[in-house]
Amino acid sequence: MLPGLEWMVWTGPTAAVFIGLGLLLCGMAVWAKISPPVARRGFLRIETDRGDRLYIGLISAAVVLAGWIAVTDLSMWLALACAFLVALTIGLWG
Amino acid sequence: MSERTAAPAGQADGRTDDQADRRADRRAERRAERQAEEGERRADPRRRNNRAWLLVLPVVVSVAFTAVIPLMTVVNFSVQDIFSPGDRLFVGLEWFRSVSRDPEVRAAFVRTLLFSAQVLLLEIPLGVLLAVSMPRRGVWVSVTLVLVALPLLIPWNVVGTIWQIFARPDIGLGGWAVNNVLGLEFNYTLDATDAWITVLAMDVWHWTPLVALLAYAGLRSIPDPYFQAAQIDGASAWATFRHIQLPRLRGVLTIAILLRFMDSFMIYTEPFVVTGGGPGNATSFLSILLSKIAVGQFDLGPAGAFSLLYFLAVQIVCYVFFTVLTRTGR
Repeated sequence: MLPGLEWMVWTGPTAAVFIGLGLLLCGMAVWAKISPPVARRGFLRIETDRGDRLYIGLISAAVVLAGWIAVTDLSMWLALACAFLVALTIGLWG
Repeated sequence: MSERTAAPAGQADGRTDDQADRRADRRAERRAERQAEEGERRADPRRRNNRAWLLVLPVVVSVAFTAVIPLMTVVNFSVQDIFSPGDRLFVGLEWFRSVSRDPEVRAAFVRTLLFSAQVLLLEIPLGVLLAVSMPRRGVWVSVTLVLVALPLLIPWNVVGTIWQIFARPDIGLGGWAVNNVLGLEFNYTLDATDAWITVLAMDVWHWTPLVALLAYAGLRSIPDPYFQAAQIDGASAWATFRHIQLPRLRGVLTIAILLRFMDSFMIYTEPFVVTGGGPGNATSFLSILLSKIAVGQFDLGPAGAFSLLYFLAVQIVCYVFFTVLTRTGR
């Protein structure tokens, strides 16, 4: 780990999550450069472009994960799969 | 001369005029084409000059330092048990599990939602009532505006201090009056309900003016002919309010409701100063419980998980707020 970052108490999994998020945002930026996003209306009934849907999808995924851990002891991998499905659904048809 | 200028463009007599007209038409056509092209170029973000976005860089850097990096640290806290600097243990999602199932946290969540609901139920009608009864013109407009806005100018911790003294049964004017004039037993330091009422009254006193000012601005934007028409039709005051004023207040009231919900959902300073979350935990809202865990007990892991769950809730409300605001603006 880089020196001077000890106070941030990094762990492998959290670093992976943030690197993933960073790559996701960079990917979206590159994609937007190649083909600019077009706003449209899906089942969410509000006008969104794919960046909006990514944000709504991520937040919804977080809600699924938080709700899951609050009520059930079933595996969190299952929750992650559900969250991914929710985010994907919103991204494609939201 | 006068005849020619009076004639419509298409029926101009003489050949030279006809040619001139055609040339002018072609010029207009070319100009329209150029404008359409320019419009297309602007609509396509790939061909737009986007360099102005670089001016946002300083904000990005400062937000990274003040918000993103601390937030990342909180995320790191939330998955570890930290005993001392350099001595920590990865515990996965254990803190999220224990915090989201903690009865104390759940009770605080319900309490905070209940508080927000009561705040909205009291402040929105009161604010609208205040706005409707404020004068529409004359010297009294400025006087009432200043008087109404006064509580908004007071810093939060001072509001807390004012009410802490004001509601005291022994030396506070309000508390004393309730006990000795109304003859009701009232002591916010001992009784849970009294503490709740005190905090609620304080919030209503502090923030109803905001709703009133927003609603007043909305009311002022209604053109006078609406009221004149209502008067001619012999509409009652209630009918005028119900069918002219209230529909016109939809936009500002949406903003007021969301603002007041967010603020009351995150309330910290005033109850911290007045009751400190007590008596017992009658007024320990989410933020008060969180700060107790984070800086009182220094349980960084649970506090991190708690903050992230709280942040998620606030984030959702913020996004709804943002969406509604930008959509009503359109």
